[in-house]
Amino acid sequence: MANGVEAIRGVGTAVSAQAARSNLELRYAKKGLMWALISGMGWGLGGVLIGMALGMAPFTTGATIYTGALVAGAMNDGLGGIYLFGYNVYTGRWREIFRTLKTWPGALVCIAAVFGGPIAMGGYLMGIELAGPAYAMGISALYPVVGALLAMIVLKEKISRRVWIGIACSVAGAIIMSYTPPSGDHPHFYLGLGLALLAALGWGVEGVLSTYGMEMVDPSVAINLRQATSSVVSMVAVLPLVGGFVMFGKALQTFSSLWILAAAALVGAISYWSWYRAFSMCGVARTMALNITYSIWGIVFTYFFTTTEITASLVVGAVIITLGSILVVSNPSEIIKLRNEEV
Amino acid sequence: MAIKLPMRFRILHHFCQVESASNQQLMDALRPEYGTEGQFNSAIFNEHLMSMRAGGLIEDKAVSFDPEGNLVQEFAVTEFGKSRMKYLPKSWKP
Repeated sequence: MANGVEAIRGVGTAVSAQAARSNLELRYAKKGLMWALISGMGWGLGGVLIGMALGMAPFTTGATIYTGALVAGAMNDGLGGIYLFGYNVYTGRWREIFRTLKTWPGALVCIAAVFGGPIAMGGYLMGIELAGPAYAMGISALYPVVGALLAMIVLKEKISRRVWIGIACSVAGAIIMSYTPPSGDHPHFYLGLGLALLAALGWGVEGVLSTYGMEMVDPSVAINLRQATSSVVSMVAVLPLVGGFVMFGKALQTFSSLWILAAAALVGAISYWSWYRAFSMCGVARTMALNITYSIWGIVFTYFFTTTEITASLVVGAVIITLGSILVVSNPSEIIKLRNEEV
Repeated sequence: MAIKLPMRFRILHHFCQVESASNQQLMDALRPEYGTEGQFNSAIFNEHLMSMRAGGLIEDKAVSFDPEGNLVQEFAVTEFGKSRMKYLPKSWKP
């Protein structure tokens, strides 16, 4: 009898502990959605800020039309790396950086950084410079599509009907957006869009590489390594090709554009950090779906901070690309269902 | 002497050696190796556990209350988590 009562009590505690866990996780998931949204807004704001800096001295006076964007990219990632190193020292994990470098997933973070950094970030910023932030962000938001197609080819993953619909949707959005160039002086508009597509390709490759053990690396360490590698590779391998060092030196002395770039790098670092935070709180699909809204935030911030005209085809294209990309990365019905069913 | 692993790698390694572990049990087990570092605190361990669970390396196991009424979550390694052991440096491979 006494044992029976004990057993019932035991069951009661187990059930209420599970209920407590489930409530805790729901709260956690909701907070995660907020971080995911912050990561998307941050990425949108960062892009617009970089676009503003690129329109100022010394970035407008490069040896080639690519110089300004590539120098800004190297500086952006370098500054981001410094901020994140500061954060890692503050949270007592700076030793982890060197430990991680000695492992294969750590080395992979660095390899992926070359695709995500000089190639993707370089393409993205050149796209921002030549086609304007709103358009470059829209096209670069195709990266999940590239990722899905690469996964099909390289990882032999099957693409479901939902993902094919998302891909078709995104491509249609990209065509709508790029069909009419914005009014004003954009002589290299289509080159800019092509470079933004290069960004989508670089990030797509980065996504595929990350399936080889990158989830084992502490995200704060991974982003730190990524930004540092990207910046170093840019400086060693890319800037000499476009006469970038002269501008680099000038940019460090031009306070008016330097502080905007420093702010953009901070917002960018916060965006990455929020991405990973959200990822662990509400799952990768929801995080990607909310993060990918950055091209819409890009239009919002473009409207408030710049004089670029916001056309209907830009807004419609960006919304369709975003919806398509959301379909590629996630199943909408699962995204809405926050509470874990198996309690 | 094996090299010192990044803490998350070490956490995964530990999960492969035990049935399940809670945040506290994990900290007790790793204290001799990482106890003096700034990152050795319950909040950072919790971050690792949540993010490893989201990444599918570990999964929920049991849940209960401790005598003080705090929720104690236990986690166990998944098959996917075990498969990631192949990325550990040679000296740490099982």
